Amino acid sequence: MPAMTEALLKVSLNHYLVLSAILFTLGMLGVLLRKNVIVILMSIELMLNAVNITFIAFSRYSGNIDGQVMVFFVMTIAAAEAAVGLALAVLIFKRFKEVNIRYFEHLRG
Amino acid sequence: MNMQLLQDVVLVSPLIALFAMSLLPVMMKVFQGNREPNPYVTLFIGFIGLSLATGLTAALSGADKTAFSGAIVFDGITAWMSYLVYLITAVALMLSFDHVATRGRQFAEFVFLMLSSVLGMIILIMSNDLIVTFIGIETMSLCLYILCAMSKEDVLSKEAAFKYFILGSFASAIFLYGIAFIYGTVGSTIFPDILESVGTLISTNTLFVVGLAMVTLGFAFKVSVFPLHAWTPDVYHGAPTPVTAFMATAVKASTFVAFLRLFESEGYGDAVQFQNVLQWLAVLTMLIGNVAAVMQDNFKRMLAYSSIAHSGYIMVGLIAAGFGNNFDAGATSVIFYLFSYALMTLGTFAVVAMFEKAENSTVGMNELKGMANRYPLLSLSLTVLLLSLAGIPPTLGFFGKFYLFSAAIEQDMYWLVLWGVINSVISVYYYLRPIVMMYMSDDVPVEIVGTNGMTRLTVIFTAALIVVLGLMSSPVLKAVQRSVTNLF
Repeated sequence: MPAMTEALLKVSLNHYLVLSAILFTLGMLGVLLRKNVIVILMSIELMLNAVNITFIAFSRYSGNIDGQVMVFFVMTIAAAEAAVGLALAVLIFKRFKEVNIRYFEHLRG
Repeated sequence: MNMQLLQDVVLVSPLIALFAMSLLPVMMKVFQGNREPNPYVTLFIGFIGLSLATGLTAALSGADKTAFSGAIVFDGITAWMSYLVYLITAVALMLSFDHVATRGRQFAEFVFLMLSSVLGMIILIMSNDLIVTFIGIETMSLCLYILCAMSKEDVLSKEAAFKYFILGSFASAIFLYGIAFIYGTVGSTIFPDILESVGTLISTNTLFVVGLAMVTLGFAFKVSVFPLHAWTPDVYHGAPTPVTAFMATAVKASTFVAFLRLFESEGYGDAVQFQNVLQWLAVLTMLIGNVAAVMQDNFKRMLAYSSIAHSGYIMVGLIAAGFGNNFDAGATSVIFYLFSYALMTLGTFAVVAMFEKAENSTVGMNELKGMANRYPLLSLSLTVLLLSLAGIPPTLGFFGKFYLFSAAIEQDMYWLVLWGVINSVISVYYYLRPIVMMYMSDDVPVEIVGTNGMTRLTVIFTAALIVVLGLMSSPVLKAVQRSVTNLF
């Protein structure tokens, strides 16, 4: 057990930043590579939550509480965004009978 | 009650009035058992909300103070740009009342979303803190995503809305990540704190530079500047034309103000690399917009590309403001240009809206053939608008460009101005093409059908305003200058 506490104490700001960078990149790849609309929405949520980790890590290690308050704003916005995104997904489903972005080929030029 | 809080609330009273009035149409609809209220009443309520907000802004103008611990600022720029956004919204409401894709059974919701979107824009214009900026951008965009989809047209508008939503959320996430980095390195998200430490951090702290770059990218998406411009033609084409007119003008105007506020610092003076990157972005934005517009036959898409090009011109003023030694001159030119750009773009999109007979019709260049024989006044107005977009004197567009480029010349940015002038010359080609079609063809012109009284009025009004303001541009510029110099 003491070894584990020791290891936890060694976790620094950089560890958190790297974790959030990895999560953010995964989210980004999801948005860019996946075709299913629902998966894309989830990837966007992943990106926003990666940012939340960054905010909290900075806030914790600098002793400035502002960052934790910002997370609440971000969470609210993320919820609103999910609501709008799913509403649009329903609309797309009604029209195309599947939520996949490969049907999006009418606008080009 | 705390006096300070009361003062703060008074300062945001335009927002409160706007929000209260935006709720009225939907409330009426709910209490009448989901029956659509009379569209004239809905439109009237929208106008009351806008004029209330305008009146409150006018009553508060000159206040020059910050509120909510410095997160919101009310200064000359706030007042001027608020007026512009209210004017744009009033015109866009009139257009959507007339337009075939937005008229009818969901007009109450439409007005609600429009006013909520304006709410976000005013937050964006007032914001003095990156998180507030983010909230403003999101409030504005979330309403716009739905507005794009709220067309009777079935395929294109839905596709446009979804593309806009995915790319917009993606850009917002990047923007937010940038805010997190700036917060981590500066220790605050309030603009004055950030701008104070720009000078030292930009050359020493990589994390801060990455954050700044990400925030710039987020802004670049919203104003469709080069690396993130590709959504613009698709979304502008798919969305109902009144919403396109609204997006092309109000979103750009309000986002550019927030962008401008981020550059109000001496600290950027030494950041040569950052300046170089931004200059290249501006040049590429202008080039891509203009070259792609030349090849377009669809009038709406051509205007979308032209709006990308205009973002590039505004970037020139922005760079002059941020990286020179005279922020006020650059900021004045940007705000003046935003006014002229908004007027001419609104008018041109109004003409497109008039030509659309059904919700899914596209207006090609050929449809303008011979229009001058049948609708002389309308053709004259469109000619004025297009000449102004091309920047030909004595229209407002010419003076807008003139002030932008002279602000950049003052800062010895000759290279950038040279690109701007080259691009203006390219743009003359595609702006003159519709004029040639209208006047030089003997074809039987297309008939304009449907109710379009207010749209017609808009076209003539904006064209007249462009000529009048163009002829007396120097007093207008002086007025803008005064309000900018009082910048808080």
